[in-house]
Amino acid sequence: MPGAAEKESELSERIEAFVARLKRGGERLSSEEAARQTVGLLRKIIGHGRWGSAGELMALIRKEGKRMTAAQPSETTVGNMVRRVLKIIREEYGRLHGRSEESDQQESLHKLLTSGGLSEDFNTPYPPLRANVIEAISELLIELEGTTDNIAMQALEHIHSNEVIMTIGYSRTVEAFLKEAARKRKFHVIVAECAPFCQGHEMAVRLSKEEIETTVMSDAAIFAVMSRVNKVIIGTKTILANGALIAVSGTHTLALAAKHHSTPLIVCAPMFKLSPQFPNEEDSFYKFVSPQEVLPFTEGEILSKINVHCPVFDYVPPELITLFISNIGGNAPSYIYRLMSELYHPDDHEL
Amino acid sequence: MMAARGSGRRGAGSGGARGPDPQEEPPPPLQAVLVADSFNRRFFPVSKDRPRVLLPLANVAMIDYTLEFLTATGVEETFVFCCWKSSEIKEHLHKSKWCRHTSPNKVRIVTSDLYRSLGDVLRDVDAKSLVRSDFLLVSGDVVSNINVSAALEEHRLRRKLDKNVSVMTMIFKESSPGHRARCQEDDIILAMDSTTNRVLHYQRTQELKRFRFPMSLFQSNIETVEVRHDLLDCHISICSPQVAELFTDNFDYQTRDDFVRGLLVNEEVLGNQIHMHVTAEEYGARVSNLLMYEAVCSDIIRRWVYPMTPEINFTDDETQSYTHSKHNIYRGAEVSLGHGSVLDENVLIGQGTVIGSNCSITNSVIGQNCKIGDEVILDGAFLWNGVHAADHVEIRQSIVCDEAEVKEKVKLNPHCVLTSQVVVGPNITLPEGTVISLHSPDEEEEDDDEFSDDSGVNKEENKVKLKGYNKAEVGSEGRGYLWKADDENEADEEEQRQSLWGPTLNPEEESETESDLSLGSEQPDSRTASPQLDDIKVFQNEVLGTLQRGEEENISCANLVLEINSLKYAYNIGLKEVMQVLSKVVMEFPLQQLDTELNPQHYCVMLIPLLKKWSPVFKNYIKRASDHLDALSAIEEFFLEHDGLHTSIAKASD
Repeated sequence: MPGAAEKESELSERIEAFVARLKRGGERLSSEEAARQTVGLLRKIIGHGRWGSAGELMALIRKEGKRMTAAQPSETTVGNMVRRVLKIIREEYGRLHGRSEESDQQESLHKLLTSGGLSEDFNTPYPPLRANVIEAISELLIELEGTTDNIAMQALEHIHSNEVIMTIGYSRTVEAFLKEAARKRKFHVIVAECAPFCQGHEMAVRLSKEEIETTVMSDAAIFAVMSRVNKVIIGTKTILANGALIAVSGTHTLALAAKHHSTPLIVCAPMFKLSPQFPNEEDSFYKFVSPQEVLPFTEGEILSKINVHCPVFDYVPPELITLFISNIGGNAPSYIYRLMSELYHPDDHEL
Repeated sequence: MMAARGSGRRGAGSGGARGPDPQEEPPPPLQAVLVADSFNRRFFPVSKDRPRVLLPLANVAMIDYTLEFLTATGVEETFVFCCWKSSEIKEHLHKSKWCRHTSPNKVRIVTSDLYRSLGDVLRDVDAKSLVRSDFLLVSGDVVSNINVSAALEEHRLRRKLDKNVSVMTMIFKESSPGHRARCQEDDIILAMDSTTNRVLHYQRTQELKRFRFPMSLFQSNIETVEVRHDLLDCHISICSPQVAELFTDNFDYQTRDDFVRGLLVNEEVLGNQIHMHVTAEEYGARVSNLLMYEAVCSDIIRRWVYPMTPEINFTDDETQSYTHSKHNIYRGAEVSLGHGSVLDENVLIGQGTVIGSNCSITNSVIGQNCKIGDEVILDGAFLWNGVHAADHVEIRQSIVCDEAEVKEKVKLNPHCVLTSQVVVGPNITLPEGTVISLHSPDEEEEDDDEFSDDSGVNKEENKVKLKGYNKAEVGSEGRGYLWKADDENEADEEEQRQSLWGPTLNPEEESETESDLSLGSEQPDSRTASPQLDDIKVFQNEVLGTLQRGEEENISCANLVLEINSLKYAYNIGLKEVMQVLSKVVMEFPLQQLDTELNPQHYCVMLIPLLKKWSPVFKNYIKRASDHLDALSAIEEFFLEHDGLHTSIAKASD
């Protein structure tokens, strides 16, 4: 059918454009935007792609997903959404295949020992599978859109009047969180500017527009001011499987200072940022951009004699974090593994 | 001969006529003209095997960087103009991601053997009416991550407001003098109007320390004139369609420099202006010689050109996926590292490379499928694909091209170049600046007649064809010839040496010269222009004639001195050169008498009486210590040429 071929080429064009956009990374794609686009693309692949059974579909999604994640490894939401979709496919297949959802869980140790390798082959074609999966993905999209609001709704429980809150850099989630709290309470916010990109400035401007008393300070003053702070609320880029954070550069300092003063560190992050990967040295969560921000090119001769690095992200170990606030409620870092098992299937941890 | 890709041109884009765009219509799709030939031989003999735009920078061809830059900045149609080795360029592009149908940038390749300069290319662009509106003009070896849209907006606004007076916008990068990425040959100093960013005066620095600016510049009614020396020329220009027309009108414009200067000079007559755009935060540079190659490669590895870094693999080539680790170490797939080997920092290793034990590698780029032995030291080395380096090799600051082989215990001093498939034998140390190539330098003379200004002058002297490989140069198992300059440039050796690497920031004497037989090249060669070469050649012959007559007719030395002096004035030769030529002629004198190869004794026997006879002549010219040095170095040069006569140096130097 000429229509299908056209659609396929349009689809591959879109995938290429998305991959190229991820690679170029110039427009600073926000995590939510990346997640939404990934899900949109996957939905199109499922809708227009040529596949017969669930197994083929999963292989197709895995292939495209691997390509998209390889384009920009530090953008973990892309991989997370691919895994979510794979889990959805498994669930829908399971439902159609006639098994109940309960027995599919691998929680029981007995099941783990006796099952001896899942004999799930995903090869039986079911016509309604396509429609079901697409519907489930649409629900996922709706869930994505509501995450920030869900998090902001919990603001009043955590922020009390006349508190001093510290944050670092610019996070959309934290901004919404604080704005929601500011409607009913009065508090102060100290923003660490987060060099060298200094996104803290933008955060401060936005907060002050909402009549929140804001102070901007340099990263060096974090420890000095920490004794006066009641709570530290930050956003993050990724939550790893052990409860650790990959957050903007400077967050580790903040977390250590907070730990030293026993100030609670609250992380506001939606569930799509939760990644089933564990930290290890080879992983490429880290993003090093052009050293221009640290030592500009105009410095001249000295640049040929030294090495300049500009890392964008920091690793924050789970011991330093007090609470995760996500769209499904507040959780301790030690509970993250449970949340993960609900979202992703263990076979999908490695794409 | 034109082979355009695709049967027709894409007729999309709203009526982007050459006049001003009406405000309601969206701007026409951005086009670019990419000149994939540099029209000079700066990279010979490396670019004899491969066109310059396909030389790898961090294992990715240069033209890929340029195309990625164009695509990222929103260009939708690119015309690639090729001349030298165009089939290879075409093949590369067809295999790359730029020619897939999903590419947002349509690449069309135009080839012709008739192009001789940038001017020819633009005249062709005009003749074929390829561009419909403003276009980007870049050469194929530009590496940049600049987003041109801001400059483009300014350019379009200027043209709209001022009714097409502004013809071109050049893009520069701010960079203080002394920065490694500032090419000494391309260095410019310019005067601009800081309110409108208009270029008022443009000049190449050419290593000069003092510059002249016309007073009219400062006396005009422009209030804010800035003279800037902190700019690096990115060789990216936003041109209006008028540029192509202007090139057609003025047949003598060969390069962009000619165009700029011509426009600035004729400003009152034609009313065209050139503007500029300076970027401080983004990176842009052109690889115009080997020093720039080294600088840009290092910058890519140090991530200055983010997001075009190696691990992002923007070419979508499966063999080019790297993982990035601490200290800018990039490793390809299936790289094996031996026990005890250390990758210090800023290293890129291509896929499938095997590195032996106890090696120390730093600041280097290694291509795919290389095999490196044990105890190898690589510092600032650029190894391309398939290189074999045996044990105990030391390579510093050098380039080893495809499939070359370096055998045991070889030491390459800085600034060496080994071109493709060359083998350098065991236990040899190559002096600084050696260039070894499988093409012998004689070969070059024959097949590039049309490029040479002085064709036919030296053909007879190079009659001895080197069929075998010189063991002293390349080692006992080596294969390759030492690439040297032509003899006619000998007289200029004391002056600025245009080597393969280009002038360095520190004025070190490079021991290798390359003849710059280029047309329309962008480097100024004020002191090695062809008329002077002829003069010196003729002068040399005259001196030879004089000495011969002196010998035959027994003319006294005073008269000889008189004759030489008058020749000196006739041909406008400097005193230093007289000294050199004189020494050379005297040394060669015995050789001229006999045609066969002399053995040292015989030569000595002939030479010494000559020296004794003409010592007053020498004394006349050697008055200061520096002249002594000149004479000695000229003698040294001569003996280097004629190796067999080494032993007579001792006797002759009394």
